[in-house]
Amino acid sequence: MPVSVSPDTFTLVDFDPAAIAETAEELVGQVGLPAGLDVRITIDERTPLGRVTVESLEPLVLRIEGGAFEDPKRPRQLSRARVVDVLGLHLFQARDRLDPAFGAPPVDADVPIAHKVAWDTHAMGRVERLGHPAQRQRRLYHFRNRHGFTDAADAAFDRLWSADRLSWPELVEIVG
Amino acid sequence: MKRSLPVDELARDDRFVRSSIEDRLTDPRSAARAGAVAEGRGRRRRPISPDQPGAPDAARSLMHGIFVGEVQALEGAGRTCWDFDLGAGDDEVPFELKLDMARQCWDEARHVEISCALAAWMGTAIGEFAESTILYEAACNDDPVMRLTGVNRALEGLAIDVFNTMREFGQAAGDPVLEFCEDWMLADEVTHVKMGSDWLRRLTAQDPDRRARALEFQKVVDKLFSYGGIRGDDDDSPVRLARRFRELAGFAAAEIDEIAELSREAARDRAAKASARQSASRQGG
Repeated sequence: MPVSVSPDTFTLVDFDPAAIAETAEELVGQVGLPAGLDVRITIDERTPLGRVTVESLEPLVLRIEGGAFEDPKRPRQLSRARVVDVLGLHLFQARDRLDPAFGAPPVDADVPIAHKVAWDTHAMGRVERLGHPAQRQRRLYHFRNRHGFTDAADAAFDRLWSADRLSWPELVEIVG
Repeated sequence: MKRSLPVDELARDDRFVRSSIEDRLTDPRSAARAGAVAEGRGRRRRPISPDQPGAPDAARSLMHGIFVGEVQALEGAGRTCWDFDLGAGDDEVPFELKLDMARQCWDEARHVEISCALAAWMGTAIGEFAESTILYEAACNDDPVMRLTGVNRALEGLAIDVFNTMREFGQAAGDPVLEFCEDWMLADEVTHVKMGSDWLRRLTAQDPDRRARALEFQKVVDKLFSYGGIRGDDDDSPVRLARRFRELAGFAAAEIDEIAELSREAARDRAAKASARQSASRQGG
């Protein structure tokens, strides 16, 4: 599967585009995106913030603020764990959107934050089952911030995290 | 045991990685980002709020910074108990000051334990973020009055602002663990800042020059730790000055106003530097 990373060279951060592409290619195969899908990753190295925008699905174009891939211990250095975390989540969500059986969630900008965090939970549970670190407790903390610090919220989190394949209506139903 | 242990001899295991204040201040992305904000292209910093997508991670990072600060505050107060002989000279301290520092060690050790438990609750690994050692560095000053002013008044004062901000964040998010942890630690910090205020006045009662030097040192630390205006007294300050708690800790209203103005000054300096770098970048390329 073709994966391209731009820019070719970084001047403000010490990122290796080849290493990012290699990790992305590995994940694209593991996540199960359609064969031959063109994946383009554009990184804005000017910002230490970490926002990710999906600009299109076919080709899959991800615009990523450089802080998303940055090692939290070492300023301006690339962290493979962060690359796996960020790309794993977004590649699973892209696969969901490309699957007609998943249903039709709103465009990203219109997804309520509570539903977005529930979808993130479902994606990261699958990332963990691929054998990658997924910071389950961190994700639980995100989820509790949106859905309450309650036993009911924790039970919903467990269902989302452990499910292999939910549809959008099922996902929304779990969080109410 | 040696006196005045340098920062690079502090004991840490391999989970911890240090970053310097220079790393932060010279990060070329800071200038690019400030320039973008000034030109209306970038996102402005806002007070941390649960409605922001990145708020939980911002809270995790901030609380990890507090955790390493607690470790260093314990180390700094412990050093102040040990580094000075008893006496009335400028390089000596009264026994009662050592007692206060010993009590502070007890508090800081408890804060470290609370912070470890809080990190686990928030999904943060110990050492997940870089450690800045500026608090301990301020605690290495040879003059005990400078130490107390730089650490207890300036940096523990910053801790009051951060704890109050995060306590309010915990309330807004409905997180009882964060809220109560912050509330308990905030109460202790008020006491620590009050110790700094009291000892500054007592030790410099007959030496106005020494007091002026100490307050000048505090201003330098306060400005540095407004992080280019992030900590301030304005509605859009991500970390707000906790006026009421600072008053309880012995700050006069005029002193709090001065810290607020230092923060605005730091924000203006930061914007000016960013603008200069942007201009230089355009001319160069």
